[in-house]
Amino acid sequence: MVPSMVFPALLAIIKSDCQVEASETPTRHLAVLNVGLSNGLSEEVLLEAAFATGGKVSRVEMCPGKSYCFLTCCTPQEAQLIFEGMHNIAHIGQDGAVAYMSYVKEVPIFEAGNQWNRSLPNGLVLLKDFVSEAEEADLLAAVASKEQTTDQEENSLKHRKVRHFGYEFLYGTNNVDPNRPLEHQPIPRACNILWSRLGDGKLSDNWDWSQPDQLTVNVYEPGHGIPPHVDTHSAFLDPILSLSLQSDVVMDFRRGQETISLLLPRRSLLIMSGEARYDWTHGIKPKHLDVVPTAEGNLTTQARSQRTSLTFRCLRQPSVCSCSFPQLCDTRQSSKPQSQDLSEQATSLEQQNVHEVYDKISQHFSETRHSPWPQVVQFLDSFEPHSTILDVGCGNGKYLNCNTQLVAFGCDRSQGLLEVGRARGFQIFRCDCLSLPVRSASMDGCLSIAVIHHLATPDRRLAALREMARVLRPGGRALVYVWAKDQRRNDKKSAYLRQNKAVNRQRTTEEEQRQKQQKEMDTHTLLPIHTNRTEFQQQDVLVPWKTKDDQSKTFLRYYHVFEEQELEQLVNQINTEVELIKSYYDQGNHCVIFKKL
Amino acid sequence: MKLSTYNFLTSMAIKGVKVGYPLKLTINKKDVVETEFNPTFVERLLPKLDWSAVYGAAQVAELADDIPAVQPENIAENELLLQKLHHLLFEVDVIEGQLECPETGRVFPIADGIPNMLLNEDEV
Repeated sequence: MVPSMVFPALLAIIKSDCQVEASETPTRHLAVLNVGLSNGLSEEVLLEAAFATGGKVSRVEMCPGKSYCFLTCCTPQEAQLIFEGMHNIAHIGQDGAVAYMSYVKEVPIFEAGNQWNRSLPNGLVLLKDFVSEAEEADLLAAVASKEQTTDQEENSLKHRKVRHFGYEFLYGTNNVDPNRPLEHQPIPRACNILWSRLGDGKLSDNWDWSQPDQLTVNVYEPGHGIPPHVDTHSAFLDPILSLSLQSDVVMDFRRGQETISLLLPRRSLLIMSGEARYDWTHGIKPKHLDVVPTAEGNLTTQARSQRTSLTFRCLRQPSVCSCSFPQLCDTRQSSKPQSQDLSEQATSLEQQNVHEVYDKISQHFSETRHSPWPQVVQFLDSFEPHSTILDVGCGNGKYLNCNTQLVAFGCDRSQGLLEVGRARGFQIFRCDCLSLPVRSASMDGCLSIAVIHHLATPDRRLAALREMARVLRPGGRALVYVWAKDQRRNDKKSAYLRQNKAVNRQRTTEEEQRQKQQKEMDTHTLLPIHTNRTEFQQQDVLVPWKTKDDQSKTFLRYYHVFEEQELEQLVNQINTEVELIKSYYDQGNHCVIFKKL
Repeated sequence: MKLSTYNFLTSMAIKGVKVGYPLKLTINKKDVVETEFNPTFVERLLPKLDWSAVYGAAQVAELADDIPAVQPENIAENELLLQKLHHLLFEVDVIEGQLECPETGRVFPIADGIPNMLLNEDEV
């Protein structure tokens, strides 16, 4: 039987975690102890085990990171069936861990909630039995690979097979090339039966198109899925249609923290329009079993079989989206504020969103800046002993004592950071990098690490480089690091992106993080607010800094993240007396070394 | 602020200022921090220093007797002078004082050892 010591301990855990109390007499609610998400139990396996007992489940609460979960039935009698059939019998956890059951007085509701009983996103319509079985067979035959199919026409993506008609959808860019229609592979005529059915109702009055010009066919085997995505706004008009053939599947719709699951029955047509097309992602989890609701409102599992989906879309020309859902809109996200837009606000922007912020966060910022970057140290070590070095924007001075053979000076705008450096005995002074209070041609080397990306116009960034060039002695060299817009190189994420634990463990996507942040942050700012540890969507952004003290305040720092070659082009404009001697990419930064002639 | 740092500072960024050097130094409070003497280090640094500002700093730091007004020849062989220069440049630490632009009289305060060379927007 159940080890007498273990069982009370497990009950104590759910009581302290979720305030759930055990019940001596049968109730509708069951705690399933000793097995849960943390030791490999899936919702499907749990439901399969419960159904094997003959009891019906109406709700499941899987608890993230826990080794227990909860079931609710319609009646205590159903719960009793499950209790007796599973308690100390069902080995459903990792390595055959057994489930211990207990009646409980109630079941906690987790944030994820019940994703079935929610209303659908606005603009999402599901038309069941949209085609007959005979039509289904015709459509499948029409889109099936023909003999002349080449490898290029049928691509096997990681988890599914794909064919395109009308235009090829290019997965590299998530877009189509409107200048290259697939002339020998138009949308099959068999599909024409669909359009008149749409026109009959009032459905299509608000749509941008009456007949699609692009079709993507996906063939999913059991276990295949498609990651959450939004169809590229600028590539396709509203709406997107998707016809499900051969078998049912569950599709998940997400917006921020909200998830809504919808069973797409075989031969149904899904219409994503407006909010559902533009503001929600959709995806299919790669699984062999789906948890699905029954007509009686219970949950059951359903094995997947091969499914073919036909997605009909219409190209947007020109490819500029004007939707009112900016969060997932590629047109909106890529529209950069022009540099002259910022020139009038440059000084106030830098004052508020750079200088004042660094003064407020200096203590915490300094604590996070201790390890010198190896390639910066290498640069410092390349100088003769006794060389004079000026670190422009030295922060807490972490590069000032890397090489004690050098005569190193540091300057910064932030009084708070200078005080840290001063306490460490460094040679420092306060100034702005746009006008260095340093004799011309007096330094053998200059450093500017993560500084000029805080300047708001190209002119100011150039002026900072010119000042460094001025204070260098002939033959002197400067090393400049700026943050790169592109945080990936050779498909490798920078350390900055790698530290995004939630994304890396696939608990969420960058898009969802951005949506969540958009809700939390005050959006009445001049510039878009970047979501930490995600890829940059724009060049001029405000980057949040959360302090780690009790108040946990968030400050916004202005950054101009650099495109490839942008820094090199700036160096070329300094004037004729410097030479670019090296440029490279280092952990999410663009870097140059230039030499004064 | 060590007096080696002082040797590099200028007010030339102020609008209309031509040279802005050397700055007029005032010391209200200073410290002496002993550091290890390395004659080669001082000798190699000397060509990068401006002697008039070295001499000027010695006057203000009340070390005028130690430093001649004109840089002597063969200084590498004069270890005693190198030691005095080491003391002046690397051991005297100005805690409170000011730096003044020789052309405009603009004052840059030194507080808690940090010179504030920041200019207002209308000064540049």
